[in-house]
This record gives sequence, structure tokens and C-alpha cells, in this order.
Amino acid sequence: MTDPANYVVAYEATDRGNEAIELGVALARLTAAELRICLVLPRSSAVPAKVPAGASEFDRLLEREAHIWLETALALVPSDVVATTHLLWAESTSEGLLEAAAQFRSDRIVVGAGREGLLHRFAIGSVANALLHVSPVPVALAPRGYRAPEKISRITCAIGTRAGWESLIESMVAISDDLGVDLRFVTLVEVDAVGHRSTPDSAVHLDQVLEHFGRSSTARGAITTEVAEGRSVEAAVEVLDWRADEIAFVGSSRLAQPSTIFLGITAHRMLHVLPVPLIVVPAGEPH
Amino acid sequence: MAQTHSPSADPSGGATVTTVGGLSTKGLSAGSVGLLGATVIGISCIAPAYTLTASIGPTAAAVGTQMPGIFLVGFIPMLLVALGYRELNNAMPDAGTSFTWATRAFGPWLGWMGGWGLIVATVVVLSNLAGVAVDFLYLLLAQITGNAELAALTDNVLINITTCLVFIVAACYISYRGMETTKHVQYVLVAFQLLVLVWFSIAAFLQVANDTAFDALAFDAAWFNPFLVPSFSAFAAGVSLSIFIFWGWDVTLTMNEETKDPEHTPGRAATLTVGIIFALYILVAVAALTFSGIGAGELGLGNEEIQGNVFAALAGPIMGPFAILLSLAVLSSSAASLQSTFVGPARTMLAMGHYKAFPARFGTISPRHKSPAFATVMAGIVAWGFYAVMRALSTDVLTDTILTLGMMICFYYGVTAFACVWFFRAEAFTSMRAFLLKFLAPLVGGVILTVIFATTVIDSTNPDYGSGSNIGGVGLVFILAMVLFASGVILMLIQRRLHPEFFTGKTLTKGTSLER
Repeated sequence: MTDPANYVVAYEATDRGNEAIELGVALARLTAAELRICLVLPRSSAVPAKVPAGASEFDRLLEREAHIWLETALALVPSDVVATTHLLWAESTSEGLLEAAAQFRSDRIVVGAGREGLLHRFAIGSVANALLHVSPVPVALAPRGYRAPEKISRITCAIGTRAGWESLIESMVAISDDLGVDLRFVTLVEVDAVGHRSTPDSAVHLDQVLEHFGRSSTARGAITTEVAEGRSVEAAVEVLDWRADEIAFVGSSRLAQPSTIFLGITAHRMLHVLPVPLIVVPAGEPH
Repeated sequence: MAQTHSPSADPSGGATVTTVGGLSTKGLSAGSVGLLGATVIGISCIAPAYTLTASIGPTAAAVGTQMPGIFLVGFIPMLLVALGYRELNNAMPDAGTSFTWATRAFGPWLGWMGGWGLIVATVVVLSNLAGVAVDFLYLLLAQITGNAELAALTDNVLINITTCLVFIVAACYISYRGMETTKHVQYVLVAFQLLVLVWFSIAAFLQVANDTAFDALAFDAAWFNPFLVPSFSAFAAGVSLSIFIFWGWDVTLTMNEETKDPEHTPGRAATLTVGIIFALYILVAVAALTFSGIGAGELGLGNEEIQGNVFAALAGPIMGPFAILLSLAVLSSSAASLQSTFVGPARTMLAMGHYKAFPARFGTISPRHKSPAFATVMAGIVAWGFYAVMRALSTDVLTDTILTLGMMICFYYGVTAFACVWFFRAEAFTSMRAFLLKFLAPLVGGVILTVIFATTVIDSTNPDYGSGSNIGGVGLVFILAMVLFASGVILMLIQRRLHPEFFTGKTLTKGTSLER
């Protein structure tokens, strides 16, 4: 492909939309990609009622407002990042975003995930949730209140021992291609009350992961591994240190159809406590 | 091409956002609705189960046994206005509300009042829909539990207006979130309504045949003759109510882009819809007349106690244990209609806010749900407030709101009809088609509506009008209508004083069909 990589940013004129733009900017700076800021409007299918709803007039006013919103969005993008804005009409927001991602051949969809959860924590909104069930490209979730750092300094990859982790590694190889960013591979281990580990061979597995990664990686930053233990997935996540200018990667559940995302239980629980953006990578094609 | 923002581009440069080729078609997906779908939409807009229960009583009270005949002639002004309405819709496809059309034709003052009439009519129907839903909710609960006392809860004013609030808040919230009834649900609701209403009619006829009817009245072909109505006042009241019962039918005529065959489908669907509705209304009207008679007895259609919500009283005696189906049909019909009807006034208020005819807050759109946020909430508050006040003042809130509603619909339909005549005046005599559809039909329709409107306004001053509620010897319906109009005029003058842009023609200009 000769076109520069591009990311679809799911925009709406709310904090959530602004957070998506912030994350889009951070990722665009990391990988020199362009942003396609997309605002999806509902294709009117209002059930007609006794009083005609004046759908055409409403659509026109809505479209005018949407252009104003998109101008506001563009103003949020700093001058070192290339961004275009697009107005779409679709049956649902997630459908519109997937259409846009397909049309632009985007590498990623960036969405503000926050809802009325705790500060800086994830509670997935409906659009993000819909995307996390069907998206064929990785979905990047911005936590509440996210602001783009000057530069992302580290990428953490949470990796499990189940089949399918290779496609996550390929994603890591791709995003860190020729970059000086630090990389960290972690496994989260649930430890029960008496100290029994559910997966005793985490460290061995991480070595295997590193070896696999090293074979194809061109990354130039420091690479570390860590095994995080906790009573629960949430506790294990909180054991780890997280930098403000860090992002995390996680794979899709093994329940996912090939090439689509289906967020697993572990990843879902991670989301609740994760203080940094999370990128969910779809399951790879079956081998 | 899409707007690009790059290091080299001037960051403050005029951003023009473009839509993505091929992706972006707004409006209903073109060509998605066939004849059956359009007919279902038409019937769904009319919501026959709700409409019948709300209108049979007041109509029987006004015109007695001539009810079937009045239903037939009552359709004529609706048809005439709808023909003009379609022409306006085609000429100004980006408009779509009485407010915009009337403003383009007559300028800001009448345009404002046209929009106000539409908003008031809708807010009144919202409160009536919610009121009917409340009655049937408790009736349904009584039928399910076998505890007849539950049905009487609706007579408790506090419980009644609280339950009404719950319905309105729910409908408001669904509209605000931009959630919509799916086509599938709509099909089921319509089929269910038709089935149950036919069942109700057959059951009524069987009771008449078995001599178990309440006050059997022998069928007479003269019922279909509207000219046997005793006075012009009664005739006017009947026609005004008939306009209410067909209200919503005109939607089918204006469905163009979304139909598979825009040349023929809307016309055919409108014809089929009105055919089905005619058959159904006449069937149910005759069934109710032959079973109940028009006396003031317990189940008589002349009984003021049951007039506002006839099916609630007749369902049990006529359908026996299956009355629960009728409750379900009316409850689902009114609840669905309540929700879909919220969209109309909210969008009209939004347009009025946008053009500065209303305070700017009404023009705000929810950035998350892309719906008219403030306007929707206001519609809900006003509808509930109106209902609560009416419940306290009137002995039969539903009857009086329906009569008020008939007046309001006459008013804004009348304004729309004349707007059509005036807007197209320059091309009225250019062809036979233009003469008939853009001039004669809306003109005659508008004149009929004006006469009906004036007659009902005058008659409603009589304290016996409607439910017989009055304030100081003046009929409640009249006072209500005047308060609604006067508050419109006052709000208009306030807005003119505070934000004159709209009234000085700065936001929406007057014009004719030839100078667009």
C-alpha cells in the first residue's frame, strides 16, 4: 500500500469524542498515520406518527450542526498530525464506523470508551461495545479524561497462554516497527487465597513469546517481561506500574470468529481498572 | 474531497467538511418500502385502536346514529388538505413542517401561529394518548389478576397523573435516545389491532343476534346519511372529530423517496390505507351502535362517564374473557403512538429554535444521541402539565382533550391549506393539474376547516359542550382553546421583542413557488 496508514476516529461532540481524538493523535504520532475523523449521524428511520416529523428538515439542520461539530473536532488536532473529517449517515454508529474503516482501508478504529464510570477507568459505552463484537480491525479504546502525551514511551502487551496469541504478537511487531518505543510483555495470573497459581508456567510462556517476537521484530526500544499476580485479574493489573504515556495491547477472545473481535472475559475485566488506552486486536486467521 | 488538515495547511482556514462518496445517504434508505409497508405505516400512524376508543364516544354524543355517515364526509376535508400538503412537500422537500411552509407563504406571524397550532395539537394528543394508556394499563392489570378493584385505580387523580408521568417520561426518554420502533414490531402491532377490532365487532354483532346486547339498536341504512344530523353545530363537531380520527393518514401521501415505486406506491398505499380504515371504522361504529345504543345508560354511548374511553367500558361485556386482548391492543397502540408522536413536535420546536422563532435552546441537538434534546424534554413537560391540569379541572378529561384537539388540528391544517394556495398562487392557473391540486383542493379544504373551526369555537362557549365542565358558565373546551391560542400569541410577542430576527425576515424568508 502506498497510502499512509490511517485510523478512523469515532467522533461525537462530547468528552468521549474528544478523548477519541486525543488517542488518535497519540497513535498517529507514534506511527506517522493520518486520522479520518468520522461523525456518524443516524439515518432517519423514525416511525412516522400522526404529526409528520419533518424528517427532511431535521436532517438538514442536523447535518449543518454536524459540520460545526466536525470543525470543532479538527481544531483539536495539533498541526503535526494530518487529519480529514467525514460525515456519514448509517443505521447505527458502529455500522457507520465499520463502513468507513472498510472504505478507507483503515488500520484501526479509535473510540472513546468512557461512560459514567469511575474517573480514568473504563466502563464501555455502547458504540465501543458494539465494535468490540464485530470489528475486523483493531479497536483502540480511550479511557475517560484521556489526553494525548507528547510521545508514547512504552507499549504493554497483555498476553495469555491460550491459542491465538501469535496474531497479537504480529500486531505488536507491526506497531513497533523500527520505533524506539519500550515494549513490555506481561501475563496476568490469578492467585487464589492459599497462593495456588492457576497457570504455573507463565514465565516459561513469556520466554517463548519473546523468542517469537524477536524473530520478526525491528523494534529498537527496551524489551521487558513481567508476570503480574493478584487475587483477580483486576488486582493483577493494579500490581503493574503504568506510565501516563503508555498504551496496552490485548488479544481477542478465542470465542471470536476469525478476523473479528470478541472481547474475552479477562480483557473485559482488565478494562475496568486499566488507566491507559487499550487496543484490542482481532483474532488471527485460523492456521 | 475531504477536508485535509496538515502541517502545511492554514489551521484556521475555512473548513469544509465533505461527506464520503457512496457511504452517505441520509433519509430512509431509498426504495425500501413497498405497498404493504407503506400501508402498514399509514395504519400505524392513525393508530386505529387508540383513535376509536377515544373518538367513538364524543362522536356518538355529537351526531348520534349518524356516526358512520360523519366518518365518511369527515374524510373529505382531510383528503383535500392532504393533496395540497403533498404539493408543498414536493416543492419544498427540505422543509416539511407546517411552520416552515406557512412562514414561506405568509411570513413570520402566521407561520409562527401555524407552528404553534401543530405543537399544541401534538402536545394535546400526547396527553390524551398517555391518558388512554393509563386507563388501559390498570384495566389490563385488573383483567390479568382478576381483581376488578385495580381498574378503579385510574380514577384516583394522584395515581392517574403519576402513572401518566411515568408513561410520558418513558416515551420522552426513548425519543431522546433516538431509539426507534422497528418495522417488524410495527407490523405486529398493526396486525394485532386490526384483528382484535374485527373480533370486537363480530362479538358485538353476535350478542345483538342473541338478544344479549346492552341496548340493541336495529341497524338502519340511514346511519350512513350525514345530512340527517340534527343541526349544523352537531355536524361541525362530528367533522372536527372525524379529522382527528383520520389524522396521520396524510403521512402515506408524502412518502416518496423511501418507496420502491415513488410514482405509484404512495398514492396506492394512501388509497389502500383509507379503504381499510373506512371499513374498520364503519364496522366498529355500527357494532358499537347496535350493541350499546346512544342512550345515557351504563354502557350507552351517550354515557358521559364512558365517552372518553369507550373500549374500556365495552370490552368486558362484549368480548368476555378475551377483553384482555382489546386492552392489550389499545395499550400497545397508544403507547407506541405516544412514543412516535414525540418526534413531531420536538422537531418542529427544534426548527423554530433554529430559525430563532423560539428561544435558541430549542434548537440544540444532543451531540451524543443526535436528537432534539431540549425540545423533546419540553414537549414531555408540557404534555404532562397539560394533562395534570385537565385531570384536575375536567369531569371527563379525555373527552375534553379530544374536542380541543379537533379544533387545533382544524386550525393548523387550515393554515397549511391556505399556505399551499398562497404559495402556489403564481402557478395556480398554468395547468389543470396545478389548478386542481395546488389551488382548488386546498382552497376548498381550507374553507371547510375554517367553517368547522369557527362553528366549534362558538359552540364550545356553551357550558354543556363536551363533558359539561365549565368555568363561570363558559365551556371548558372553549376556555382551554382560547388559553392555548392566547399563550401562543403572548409567547410570540415576547419572542418578537427579545429576538426579532425571525420576525424581521432575517432567518426564513417569505416567497412564492416561482421565486425560490
